[in-house]
Amino acid sequence: MKAGKTRLQKKTVPTEIHGDASTPDGIEPTESIENIEADMVVMEKVSFAYDGQCADIHNVSLSIGRGEWVTLAGANGSGKSTLIRLMNGLLRAGSGSITIGGTKLEPGAIGGIRQKVGMVFQNPDNQFIGATVEEDMAFGLEGLCLDAEEMRSRISRYASSLGISDLLHRHPQELSGGQKQRAAVAAILAMEPELIILDEASSMLDEMARRDWLSLLREMHSEGRYTLLSITHDAEEIAASERVLVMHEGKLAADLMPGELFRSEELLRMCRMVPPFRTQLALELEKRGIRPADAGLGSGTVNMDLEDERIWPFSWNM
Amino acid sequence: MHEKLLIGRLIDTGSPVHRLDPRAKLTAMLLYAVMVVCARSWLALLCLMVFSVLMMALTRIPVRTYLKAAKPLRFLMLFILIVQCFAVKGGSVLVAVGSWHLDSAGLEAGAIAALRMVLLVSFTALLTFTTSPGQLNQGLEGMLKPLEWTGIPAERLSLMTGIALRFIPAILDEAQTILKAQASRGADLRELPWKEKARMLTALLVPVTVGAFRRAEDLTASMESRGYRIGAPRTRYRPLVWGQGESWFVAAFVLMCLVIVWIGFY
Repeated sequence: MKAGKTRLQKKTVPTEIHGDASTPDGIEPTESIENIEADMVVMEKVSFAYDGQCADIHNVSLSIGRGEWVTLAGANGSGKSTLIRLMNGLLRAGSGSITIGGTKLEPGAIGGIRQKVGMVFQNPDNQFIGATVEEDMAFGLEGLCLDAEEMRSRISRYASSLGISDLLHRHPQELSGGQKQRAAVAAILAMEPELIILDEASSMLDEMARRDWLSLLREMHSEGRYTLLSITHDAEEIAASERVLVMHEGKLAADLMPGELFRSEELLRMCRMVPPFRTQLALELEKRGIRPADAGLGSGTVNMDLEDERIWPFSWNM
Repeated sequence: MHEKLLIGRLIDTGSPVHRLDPRAKLTAMLLYAVMVVCARSWLALLCLMVFSVLMMALTRIPVRTYLKAAKPLRFLMLFILIVQCFAVKGGSVLVAVGSWHLDSAGLEAGAIAALRMVLLVSFTALLTFTTSPGQLNQGLEGMLKPLEWTGIPAERLSLMTGIALRFIPAILDEAQTILKAQASRGADLRELPWKEKARMLTALLVPVTVGAFRRAEDLTASMESRGYRIGAPRTRYRPLVWGQGESWFVAAFVLMCLVIVWIGFY
C-alpha cells in the first residue's frame, strides 16, 4: 500500500477505503458516518506541532475498528508517541478531528474520553502513583467515583485475572519488570476502558517476560472487549497483531497486514527493524520457490504458540 | 545510601497502630513535637522516652529501626551538642583549656538538646513506618480541608506530598546508580578529598534533577490519562474512619503532653 493511504476497517465486515476519508472511492458519505460511529478511533486530517510551526504530525487520517489489534510501527522520532497522545487529549491537535468511540475529542469531552482510553507507558516505574499495587489500581477507580465496595471487587477481579493477587501489597520497586507491566495493565483494565493503548510497554522486558506479555495481549484480544493499539519495535508482537500502521516523519506511511510489512524491504528499512526469524526463513524459502503453509506472511492472526509447536508443516507449492 | 531511605518507607507489621486513621497519627505527631519542646529536664525526658518506647513497641517495629531513621542526622546532633557546650555556662568546670572552659551546665544542656533531637526524629518516623504514603496523603488532606477557606489548597498540597514521598526512594536509587556509574569510571566518591567530594556531588545534582523532571512528566501523563483532574470529584478506596481506637490513641498523647508540661512547671 502506498504512503499516505489509509484504511477504514470494521472487524466483522472488512471494508477498504483508499485515500482520505473525505475522498473515498465510491463510498457514500452516509456510510462514512456509520463507520465513524462503529469505529473506535477515527482521526481525520490531524496535524500537530510541538512548537506550533514545524509539524510533528502531518495530516494523518486513520480509523481503527472496535476489537481490532493494531500495531503502530516506525523508527524513533517518527511521531508514534505523539500520535497516541493526541488520542486521549494529552496533547491537543493543531487541526483535524479525532473521534474516540463515537465521541468527538473536544475540551469538554476529555474526561469521558479518558474513561474510554487506557494507556500503558514504556517505563512502568514512572507511571505508578500509588505506593502499593493496590493503591495504584485504586487511583484510577477513585477518579471514576466508584464506591469502595465496587473498587474492591474490581481490584480483586482484575488482579486475579492478571495473576498479581499476591503482589497487591507490594511497593512498585519490589516488583520485577514483567510484574510491573502486569500491574500497570491491571490498573488500566480495572478502569474498564474500551481502547487500550500500549506505548512501547514491552520494551523494558526480558525475553521470558516478553513472551508472557505477548500471551497476555492475545488473551486480551481474544476476549473481544478491547481495541488494542500498541506501539512496538518487537517483530513478534507486530506479527501477532492484525494490522500495522507505519509512521514515518510524522506521516502515516502505510496501513497493512503484518505479513505485508515483513515483505516490504523499504518499509522495514523505514521502521529500522528486521522481521522475525521464522518470517525471514519463509521469505528466503519463498525466493527459492518453496512456500511454507503459514509463516505469518498472510493474515495477521497467527497463533505463534501453535506455530512453534508444529514448526514447519511444509506443504510444497512448487 | 539505603539507610537514609528509611524515612518514607512503610514497614507493614499489621499492628493496631498501622490500622489507625492517619489523622489520629498526624495529630499525635504534632502533640509529640509539643512534648519535645516542653521537655527541658531529665525527668521529663525520661518520661517521654518511656512513653516513646511503649508506643514504638505497639507498632511491633524494633526500636533499633527507629534509631536508624535518626542516624543520618548524627552530625547535626553533634553540632547542637558542641554549640550548647560553648554557649551555656554555669555549674562546675569540667575541662579548662586556657581561657575556655567546658561547664557542666553546658554539657547538660547540649546532651538534653541532642537527646530531644534523637527522640523527635526517631519517633516521628513512626508516622511513615506505619502509614502508607497514600494514607498519609489522605490524612493530611483531611486535616487541611477545614482550612481551605483560608486559601490553603489542601488537595494540591496533599498530592504534592504524596508524590514526593512515593518518589524519594526512586530518586535516591537513581542517584546511587549515577554515583556507581561515576565510580566505575574511576571517580570513587569515597576516596576523594572533601573539596572534590562536594564538587562531584554538584555534578550529580544535574542528572538527578533532569531525571526527576523526566519522571514528573511521565507521571503527569499517567495521572492525566487515568482521568485525574485537580478539583474533580473523587471517591475514596479507604474512607477515613475515626473510631474509638483513634480517640484513645490521641487521648494518650494529650495526657502525656499534660504530664510533660506539668513536670516543666514543678
